[in-house]
Amino acid sequence: MSHPTSSGDRQSTDGPGRPRRVKVGVGDLAVVSDDATLTTSGLGSCVAIAVGDPTAGVRGLLHAMLPSAENTASSSVPAKYVDTGVDALLAEVEAAGASPRRLEARLAGGAEMLDLTAAVGPRNVEQAEQSLAAATVSIVASDVGDGVGRTVRFRSGGDLVVRAADGFERTI
Amino acid sequence: MRVDVRALGACNRLAKRGAERAADALAELTGTDLAVEVTGASVASGEDLATAFAGRESIGVRVGLDGGLEGEAVLAFDAAQADGLLSVLPGGTSIGHSAVTEVGNIALGGFLDGWANYLGEAIDMTPPRYFEADGAAVLPDGALAGDGVFLFESRLDATTTDLDFSIYMLPESGQFRDLVVGRAPAAAGTGGAASTPGRADDAGASGTTAIPYESLSTFASLAKRGSTNAADNIAMMTGLETTVDVSRLRFVPLADVPSEVGPEPHAGTVFELQGQPSGYLAILFSEASAAAVAESMLPTEPAEPLGDMAENALCELGNVMTSGFIDSWANVLGTSIAHSPPEFVHDIGSATVSPLVASLSRRQDYGFVIDAAIRTAEIQARCDVYALPDERELAAALEQLSET
Repeated sequence: MSHPTSSGDRQSTDGPGRPRRVKVGVGDLAVVSDDATLTTSGLGSCVAIAVGDPTAGVRGLLHAMLPSAENTASSSVPAKYVDTGVDALLAEVEAAGASPRRLEARLAGGAEMLDLTAAVGPRNVEQAEQSLAAATVSIVASDVGDGVGRTVRFRSGGDLVVRAADGFERTI
Repeated sequence: MRVDVRALGACNRLAKRGAERAADALAELTGTDLAVEVTGASVASGEDLATAFAGRESIGVRVGLDGGLEGEAVLAFDAAQADGLLSVLPGGTSIGHSAVTEVGNIALGGFLDGWANYLGEAIDMTPPRYFEADGAAVLPDGALAGDGVFLFESRLDATTTDLDFSIYMLPESGQFRDLVVGRAPAAAGTGGAASTPGRADDAGASGTTAIPYESLSTFASLAKRGSTNAADNIAMMTGLETTVDVSRLRFVPLADVPSEVGPEPHAGTVFELQGQPSGYLAILFSEASAAAVAESMLPTEPAEPLGDMAENALCELGNVMTSGFIDSWANVLGTSIAHSPPEFVHDIGSATVSPLVASLSRRQDYGFVIDAAIRTAEIQARCDVYALPDERELAAALEQLSET
């Protein structure tokens, strides 16, 4: 897992005024406390969970594949699953200075992409809602379900820009 | 002799972490953020690698390895990007070879640190050598000579500019065999190497999956035969001449597969495989290729490029390709493999394969992935076939193969 830390450990010279981009892979998470844009692509049945504390300026993004680490045979990293991934994400944003009480969450993904694997997307969303509720983090916006792939950008202001396969983009 | 899949996974994690260190070093030097997109170990013959790398011109730096790991490691980038790289290095385009050599030295040093820590033994690097190479000559010494087990490859992509690097490492066969055969991977660290309680019926008493070393190259050639059969079936259905450009068997973290497919829109079909091994197979075309191939199969030009008629044509094509692909496996493995009806997909490529990867990920973090690129001659079309077999079932089938 790549976990860029809060200090902006990498000097960006991608252009004056242009925030650096931090890519979050599948089954991965990252936390930042500068103006970096967190991005993740290829969200099919996977779910992206973006949490941020607007006051502290700390944000984190998780791209989880499966609902729960329970009853799974693979060894794995926490960010692969929604339940353990949410725990890891919240622990990391809090370690970076976010207050649990101020955290707000946004969700994207969880599509029913294929009939072959239809149940995974909705179950990911359901687990995300449960895990965040258990941690008393409120979900302020979501763009989930349907049968469409998505790419997201989590910007420094706390907006989540969700782009669908057909190019349609909405900001939540 | 058996390859312990967990040990191979641990080596893959080392390669990935090494690539991340190299990416950090390159980011510092160039001021450009780089992400490690894909890390894998390919099992390919020299001939396959030569085909896969044909037409590429690369610039890079190579170092010889001695001590804890012997072999050769290479940092390479596309020759067309040379000016782009030099322009972001301190000193600009005037500095030339020496700067590239230094970049390679630092990046490869970062790459090898993790391996040395794991082995508990220093890895000595020979002085870096600058090179310009055509085709597969970029690869480490020995990659083209033998059976290619195992060539580690990592791809590092700049997140905002057009600058990509590849790292290749070919460990010497004998020493590397000892690493994946004889050593438990517990020291590898990330927590991912913890014991995996596999299903008792197919994972063996130790709970780990082992694959006969010798059967891997057999399986690689089997994968190639499957790709060729699939290509032949396209030719039969469309009347178009086809060639298999690339066919590789690689051991990769499953989570990297969507990145490899990429964010562009794709159309095609996916199948579930049932039998020994079970798994998934995806046949993906770029939108333009899908439309062109579908049109070549239809008596009249369809009203919509990727409408219902094209969908039916692509499903039919997918059916015969998949049959061709898996029949050759079943024949050689002596097992029976069936496939589901085709499911048409038309979406972001990486989003299309992510549910397949998620489904397999319940039982495994890494997998053997077969990917093949098939091209048609008369119309410019290309499709990528990704086969994702269940690792334990594949191991069991290969085990039987080695016993017969």
